[in-house]
Amino acid sequence: MEVTIKIFRYNPEKDKRGHYETYKVEAHENDRVLDVLELVKGHKDGTLSFRRSCAHGVCGSDAMRINGRNMLACKTLIRDVGANITVEPIMGLKVAKDLIVDMNPFFDNYKKMLPYLINDNPLPADGKERLQSPEQRARFDESTKCILCAACTTSCPSFWASDEYYGPAALVTAHRFIFDSRDEGAEQRLHVLSETNGTARCHTAYNCTEACPRDIQITKAIGELKMAMVTGKID
Amino acid sequence: MSDRNVSLSSALKYKGQGPYLTYILHRIGGAMMAIFITTHVLATFTEMQGWQIGDVINDIYISPPFQIVFMFGVLFHLINGMRITILDLFPQQLIPYHRQAILIEWIIFILVYGFAVVTTITTAIGRMS
Repeated sequence: MEVTIKIFRYNPEKDKRGHYETYKVEAHENDRVLDVLELVKGHKDGTLSFRRSCAHGVCGSDAMRINGRNMLACKTLIRDVGANITVEPIMGLKVAKDLIVDMNPFFDNYKKMLPYLINDNPLPADGKERLQSPEQRARFDESTKCILCAACTTSCPSFWASDEYYGPAALVTAHRFIFDSRDEGAEQRLHVLSETNGTARCHTAYNCTEACPRDIQITKAIGELKMAMVTGKID
Repeated sequence: MSDRNVSLSSALKYKGQGPYLTYILHRIGGAMMAIFITTHVLATFTEMQGWQIGDVINDIYISPPFQIVFMFGVLFHLINGMRITILDLFPQQLIPYHRQAILIEWIIFILVYGFAVVTTITTAIGRMS
């Protein structure tokens, strides 16, 4: 089938503002949008720039707006979006070139969540693992699935308004450690979350949950963080 | 181009589906109430000063078309706000069912708003006859 793909183009060395270019390529309905982008780059215009790495929905490199909605290009089939496709960079982050955005503000916010295990207590007597029951592990299982693709954060109206807001991905990271029974840094993280740019800026638009390619219930995770902050209980 | 690649029009065009629509309508309702209260205070003040502009604004407020539009914003803001509050109080249990909650919200809103519109229209007709 013939696929018409309209792609946002921006070259900071030549363009004052972005524009769109349209390409027509032959593709199969079971091809992914990423395959179509590869066809355009390989056969139509080698200057097209976009991020991709694993191409299997694990690395989170190719988050972009496809037909007006944040998705991973490697997980989106042509048959699901139709033969007329518009591809644009994710919003709220500066466009570096074409579909590539500057992810630094996103990762700066991620780092503020102290994304590592905090536990200064001595190791268990056997000197091996800090054990955890299946129930304790299940408590934060969903938030471990985050691949930091930024599809959620860049679909959030509060993040569009200000990139000072930590954003859904950072909050999911906080959830992943705060509800981990082995971690002892909940108080520090909840203190960070209680700041102006923390959970208070989540206005439950649910765009993050709709956009997540890993089907994480992000708004639920943020709701649990809000509750933990109000009650002071982590259960 | 904008530094952060986001504008009001691109934000409004984002296809966030049902929940995002309620988010937008909630803000529109809130803005309508803020504008209403501000102009209402100003209208009262100008009326007390004997200026005609206050009467003009109050005439707009009591007109049925204005009330029908304004009630949409107020009632939606109210019912949507209740849905958000209830879900926020029980995040673990209720947020996974947010789509169903939005459906229920729309049903309640249509019933309440429909009743309000019918009442406004029948009252207006009663006044005319």
